[in-house]
Amino acid sequence: MSKSNAFVKLKKFLPFYVMALPGIIYFFINSYIPMGGLILAFEKYTVKGGIFGSQKVGLSNFKFLFSSADAWLMTRNTIVYNLIFIILGTVVSIVVAYLLHELKGNLPRKLYQTTILFPSLLSIIIVSYLVNAVLAGDTGFINNNILIPMGLEPISFYSESKYWPFILVFVHLWQMTGTNCILYLANMSAIDPGLYEAASLDGASRWHTFIHITIPCLIPTIITLTILAVGKIFNSDFGLFYQVPMNSGALINVTQTIDTYVYRGLMNTANMGMSAAACFYQSVVGFILVMITNHLVKKISKENAMF
Amino acid sequence: MKKKALSLILTTAMAASLLTGCGSTSTKDTSESSSSETKETSAEESKEVEKIKIFVPTGGKADDIEEVMAAVNEITVPEIGVEVEFKAYEFGQWFQQYSLFLSGTEDVDILANYGGYLNAVSQGAAYDMTDLIQEYGQDIIEREGEYLKSGEIDGRQYAVPIYAGYSWTMGMIYRKDIVDELGLTEAAEKATKLEDWEPILAAVKEAYPDMTPYVLNNGTTAPNFKYGTWDDLGNFYGVLMDPTSDKEVTNVFESDQYAHLCSVMHDWYNKGYCDKDIQTQTDSFTVLTKNDAAFCTLGQADFNTAFYQSTTCNKPMGVTLFGDQVARTYNNVCYTIMSNTEHPEAAMKFLNLWMSNKDVGTLISYGIEGKHYVLDENGMGKYPDGVDAGSSTYHLGSNISNINRILWETENPDYPELLVEHNSNDKKSIALGFSFDTANVTNEITQLDNVCSKYQAGLETGTLDPEQYLPEFISALKDAGLDKVIAEKQAQLDAFLAQ
Repeated sequence: MSKSNAFVKLKKFLPFYVMALPGIIYFFINSYIPMGGLILAFEKYTVKGGIFGSQKVGLSNFKFLFSSADAWLMTRNTIVYNLIFIILGTVVSIVVAYLLHELKGNLPRKLYQTTILFPSLLSIIIVSYLVNAVLAGDTGFINNNILIPMGLEPISFYSESKYWPFILVFVHLWQMTGTNCILYLANMSAIDPGLYEAASLDGASRWHTFIHITIPCLIPTIITLTILAVGKIFNSDFGLFYQVPMNSGALINVTQTIDTYVYRGLMNTANMGMSAAACFYQSVVGFILVMITNHLVKKISKENAMF
Repeated sequence: MKKKALSLILTTAMAASLLTGCGSTSTKDTSESSSSETKETSAEESKEVEKIKIFVPTGGKADDIEEVMAAVNEITVPEIGVEVEFKAYEFGQWFQQYSLFLSGTEDVDILANYGGYLNAVSQGAAYDMTDLIQEYGQDIIEREGEYLKSGEIDGRQYAVPIYAGYSWTMGMIYRKDIVDELGLTEAAEKATKLEDWEPILAAVKEAYPDMTPYVLNNGTTAPNFKYGTWDDLGNFYGVLMDPTSDKEVTNVFESDQYAHLCSVMHDWYNKGYCDKDIQTQTDSFTVLTKNDAAFCTLGQADFNTAFYQSTTCNKPMGVTLFGDQVARTYNNVCYTIMSNTEHPEAAMKFLNLWMSNKDVGTLISYGIEGKHYVLDENGMGKYPDGVDAGSSTYHLGSNISNINRILWETENPDYPELLVEHNSNDKKSIALGFSFDTANVTNEITQLDNVCSKYQAGLETGTLDPEQYLPEFISALKDAGLDKVIAEKQAQLDAFLAQ
């Protein structure tokens, strides 16, 4: 009985499976087959031995991640920046999406949206030079056009670490808000306009409709995106933390993340095993965090959990 | 129902077309490769020509590389029965892909290595050519002499270093026309210590307010004191302060000399001889000098540096050496045979011919005479009329021996004689041929590299006050395991010297 039931089910959903097939194949080739390479994290790779035949060395490749005096620093930076990015990123994206949504007229809306989206299309190298044009000590915009005309001392930004948490957060938001708000924008246009009409008949202000209609309707999206972001909390945007501060040593206390540490440490030795170990560690921690977050969400409100 | 069936058909059709799309290209690929394989085997059977591939980086042009290689093969096939195929990458791309080449997944037989061959050996990517070079590499052995050792590890030959200037020291590279104009020619030539340059920089700053007196040589890609008077034995962690006599590996960062250099730089930084953002300088000295934006820099310097810099910067340049030229541990540029190659003999035969046959060397460097270059009245190469570096279709530049080719018009006409003279007569580091195997201290190196990226640039550019930060730097290095690395290096050096 159950077997034929399963068969009926399969027949019923077959078109969907067929539709999903290209995606499944894509993930299988690009995400699952390479997982075999994770074995690299546990061996001393040599060309002759290849990926599967090299000497196994247990967990010793992982040691360098934890034995450093910077271990605490880089973990703290990675996590705190990511938390700020998740929280501020969500708030700013929703606000921007709402403002765009409320704009009347197609032309201005498209114009604004394209303008906001544009930075995310720029390569991080270009972004780093744009930032440099603003911050540079001798030629930078802030020093030359703001501080000096006002009679203030110029600041050499690339050797003062205290400004960089703000600069990095700003650059990240400036660059990523455009793409992040697209999803929210799409979500907002899917909200039943009847809800807004009913609310305004009852005398609700814009603020009230935003808080009581828009936000609750966005909650599932917010949760999904947050869970996904939490999974990457141990990864960091390498370009943002390495290229944008121009690899300045004086800023390392606030710009060192796990990715930059691995890059700086292995750039000269090109050690495959240790790089694989770092990625493996990040993925495993990310996976565990996704499971935990999802579990918490499930406990609080079951219908919003991802799985 | 009808709709559903239709959608099913459509999706299946889409998926099917996608799959056939992939399938057809892959069959095409295999048919292509199999046909080339059959071609190869048939050629081997008839003439026993072996085909090898070489990957090199280039700062020049390689559009006509196939045509040039056809000309090269006209020499190599009858001489040694080897057909070569070169693949040239631009430098930026090269450094990104080099690790990939080393991983052994590419179809390549000979690999150029810029930045030493230690990574290639430690990953097992370099073929042990000890016996091969005896059998097929006699011309290499003769040309390189003692310098061949700088391709060895533990008495085994893993790389063929290029024949180039081996001995060098730290030197100040400066705009000669400017010191001439300011009447400081003699002062500049006699300023063989860093601090001696202070009055010259002060004069330059006053006379040329738009010019930065001191800049970094390579932007931030190499530390300011990378090319020191000491022998760094492969990395900064443990050096021979006097490479010709010291046998003790010491910590350069703790030396008085290093502290002194840092404090001079800090003084210059405070006096405004450097840009405030010198720590994040992105342009190289060459670019800045071309645009009259820089006066001098520290760098690796030898007998040819002044000539070389003058042609690359398009300005008259001078060099003052901070000591005697000494031949160092190893040369940065060398060729390795891939350990997974199927044609090690052919690869060695070709390297040998490339080292000794001037026609092959010239062809690979500059292309075909009349098309890619012409000879001037002095027998030196130059671009044909109407062609320049930008519009040239072939000018690889890369070579295995700097004297096994015609000279370019921008080169010092006496370069080959001077090079051989210096290489044979200059003082040699006692560690010449020593290479440091980092396998036992990888964790420490990872941490040390991170400590250096935090302090080294700041201290060496003078941005950080050495009074405060140098002790901090040293203690951070010790925490990261510098002493262990130095002990390891000392043990390896002792073993090397005992051989």
